[in-house]
Amino acid sequence: MNKTDQKIGKVFLVFAGICIITIPLVVLLALSSEPEEMESAVLATPRRDFDHNGGAIFESYDRISQDYIEGSSTERTLSEYYARRQYAGSPPYIPHQVEEAGETEIKCLTCHARGGWTEELKRHTPITPHPEQVACRQCHVKMTTDGLFVATNWLSLPPPRLGRSHLPGAPPPIPHELQMRGNCIACHVGPGTVTAIRVEHPSRGNCRQCHVPDSYVELFQRKSES
Amino acid sequence: MDISRRSFIKLAAAQSAVTAAAVLFPGISFGAWKKVDGTAGKIEWKKTPCRFCGVGCGLLIGVSGDRAVAVKGDPNCSVNKGLCCVKGYHSVQVLYGQDRINKALVRKNGKLVEVPIEEALDLVAEKMKETIKDKGKDSVAIYGSGQWSIPDGYAASKLFKGCIGTNNVEANARLCMASAVTGFLTSFGLDEPMGCYDDIDHADVFITWGNNMAEMHPVLFSRLLANRKSKKHVKIIDFATRTTRTSQAADKSILFKPQTDLVVANAICHEIIRNNWINEDFINKHVSFHKGKTDIGYGTEDHFKFADKAETVDFDQYKAFLDDYTPEKAERISGVSAMDIKYMAATYGDPDKRVTSFWCMGMNQHTRGTWINNLVYNIHLLVGKISSPGNSPFSLTGQPSACGTVREVGTLTHKLPHGVVMNEGARKLAAEIWQVPEEKIDPKPTYHTVEMFRALDRGDIRFMWVQVTNPMVTMPNLNRYRNGAEKDGRFLVVSEIYPTPTYDVADVVLPSALWIEREGFFGNSERRTQHNEQIVPTPGDTMCNTWQIIEVARRLGFQKQFPWSRETYIEDIWNEYIRFHDNPKHRMAPYKELKARSGIQWPYVNGLETKWRFNPKYDPAAKGDGFDFYGKPDHRAWIWLRPYEPPAESPDSEYPFWLNTGRILEHWHTGSMTRRIPILHRAVPESYVEINPDDAAALGITNGRKVKITSRRGTVAMKASINGRGNPPRGMVFVPFFDEKYLINEVTLDAFCPISKQPDYKKCAVKLEKA
Repeated sequence: MNKTDQKIGKVFLVFAGICIITIPLVVLLALSSEPEEMESAVLATPRRDFDHNGGAIFESYDRISQDYIEGSSTERTLSEYYARRQYAGSPPYIPHQVEEAGETEIKCLTCHARGGWTEELKRHTPITPHPEQVACRQCHVKMTTDGLFVATNWLSLPPPRLGRSHLPGAPPPIPHELQMRGNCIACHVGPGTVTAIRVEHPSRGNCRQCHVPDSYVELFQRKSES
Repeated sequence: MDISRRSFIKLAAAQSAVTAAAVLFPGISFGAWKKVDGTAGKIEWKKTPCRFCGVGCGLLIGVSGDRAVAVKGDPNCSVNKGLCCVKGYHSVQVLYGQDRINKALVRKNGKLVEVPIEEALDLVAEKMKETIKDKGKDSVAIYGSGQWSIPDGYAASKLFKGCIGTNNVEANARLCMASAVTGFLTSFGLDEPMGCYDDIDHADVFITWGNNMAEMHPVLFSRLLANRKSKKHVKIIDFATRTTRTSQAADKSILFKPQTDLVVANAICHEIIRNNWINEDFINKHVSFHKGKTDIGYGTEDHFKFADKAETVDFDQYKAFLDDYTPEKAERISGVSAMDIKYMAATYGDPDKRVTSFWCMGMNQHTRGTWINNLVYNIHLLVGKISSPGNSPFSLTGQPSACGTVREVGTLTHKLPHGVVMNEGARKLAAEIWQVPEEKIDPKPTYHTVEMFRALDRGDIRFMWVQVTNPMVTMPNLNRYRNGAEKDGRFLVVSEIYPTPTYDVADVVLPSALWIEREGFFGNSERRTQHNEQIVPTPGDTMCNTWQIIEVARRLGFQKQFPWSRETYIEDIWNEYIRFHDNPKHRMAPYKELKARSGIQWPYVNGLETKWRFNPKYDPAAKGDGFDFYGKPDHRAWIWLRPYEPPAESPDSEYPFWLNTGRILEHWHTGSMTRRIPILHRAVPESYVEINPDDAAALGITNGRKVKITSRRGTVAMKASINGRGNPPRGMVFVPFFDEKYLINEVTLDAFCPISKQPDYKKCAVKLEKA
């Protein structure tokens, strides 16, 4: 046995020693993590829509009355829907009168959590897809004027086209972002919704079994050697 | 940016696609906004921190071609977990205002005219050289901002402090965070919160001290509401001088008279001790008691100087000091009932409740700002509710990088990136990293912000470079400082994106790139550093603020200190900067990791973020059992004996109303950005004065009627808002300061906290008349 081999052997011996001491320590540390840390790890999990929060979506479906689900009206158009937004998916502004005092939460949700007919506005109330968010006025603001401070060169993408089934009569894919809008029935079912995007089969609750997100990600493709 | 021929063709194609869709679906015309191109859905999402407040939400910016077209919340960012506020969702629209400054401007014969940017940069350097030669190095100054990206502030500090050798470096964060900093330094010896936003998920009770979180830190407030919703016992107590959205959402709203938070905080401590709710073990091991100077003044006169002196006392002396602050005595001064004071004390004192206090401008913009910060820490220290999940005295920041740039890089007159200019070791380290002679760094601080503008008025400062802020709207007692800036022989350089009142008095305007038009870093309220890449191209001649400074530095002959290439300068600056913080108390994450992740908290040691400082369970720099307040030489947190002292100016028979100023949800600071975002302008197109309905009735003022607000310094006439969003108590009015048409700061007073030098924008005396 030459000297280099002995050296290597010593190094391995030391390494093995370190492993024997540290591995149980690491395991013990992992097992002894505190409940507080566990709690924080759970809390830190980001809220994802359907796939992680599907239960809540089905529950909200159950809460909505059959009458509402089957209800229809023609009072709300897609152009009106987009006219309240700065880009497809931006929080729409509040198109009706609102009181200031005490409005931070609850009051908006009295109507917008479950929908219904408003005598004052003579319309069906649209339902929010994210009723778990209660500080509504943090994102939705009331317009008080039409003017601009200075003109803007803002441009955004056109809203998605409708009816993009891949085969004749096939269920169309979901053409929009799903973050905070994962609850399909909120916007696609009932008399408060936009006519053009209301589904014809509102009593089928599991939308995502047929309608899947349309992905625009440019995927990796292997190019064959030429 | 004009629509190019190519994008016009795209636009036309898009429009025809829309027309086709409209044919398919009769009665539908799509969308209220102009379309960028015809390929619907071609969108790429890129991460960035939000441009606006100090919360530091993660955004995903939707990019199509070379334009930002949409925003969503970044679900991977632990700050906001996918939610934004109305400003964040529309933040990208700030890029596209039609009056965007795309070219450099130089004042010639009284008018700003467009010039090539090289010519403007030459002039800036020339003027600086000439001013230094004629009037000395301390006649040039740079005034930046808590919205400075970290490399901007670093380059500014290196150029002015290291190369030119003047400490004339200040930032608007002096008007915003200085009392928070001196509060931290006096109580703990180290700046920035010990806790983090996770405290929101753990706390049982939240107490907001003069802090309208629902509007100013909306995404955090939503997180707080979510916690309350999921656990029924969670309570929010709003302790404030006026009723706001936060008071409406709170379980209990307690109003106090301006400035008397000092009395109530001491009375809470009195009650905690009287009932023996103190954590005796914690106090014995981790707290020491100290007294400072009293009757410390208000700084309203030029050349005002003050230095505090700490004297160590014991617990008994502290108890004797609190004898003056029984709840009953406190009730008489503060207007808060003794019962409510006892309720707050019992809440802090309950050993089964985790309590988080939040504050921001209400406590910082205060002529005793340092003191009230100390006093709230006193409460948490007496009961040992600190540096552990849910137990947190939490000082929120106003601006996206007030912490990252101003506090951590140290862009204040007395600061260096590590330590203060007065400290020889700190100067040595800076000189070594900056490659400048040690004697170049001046050991004497010069002017804090208010005094800097006074020096400009007096003529002690002749050249000032303003970046990313709008002092001609935000300085208190504005008339004096605007007149000063307009005097002959003053040269003002303004780096801006849109015309503002500061632009109006500029001699040179340098067109700046906006946050996602360049690479950079912000640092938020919870010690989180956030990287943003350049997402869209810079329009016209616009240039990153950091690069503007580098260009001028090179023209002044400092090539050696500013050697970086345009491709990698942000990364190179980061790598140089973090050498200042290379210790377990402040280590920053490496560039590569910051680029990949949605923000990382410092101290970042061995690949781990530090969520709770001073607690050995979480903080590798803390040693021993329990806690280790290693910022102070005695390894203890300091309780301070700080008395009540009256404000600089109080209402009297001639000026019978308090004037309180602040922000609102929709507008950011002076509105130069948010007013160019259509939805935000349309929501709140102009400022107003909130008046209590009874006061309005007594004065015969009706809603929307113009009211003249007059102080000893100035006057402004604006519309009254009665029963609007906020409701001040009788004897107080509130004005949002975002509107340059109604310059409320011509009315405010430039009194400041003698320790932090931060002005008090919340208290001065005014009278009201129908206009």
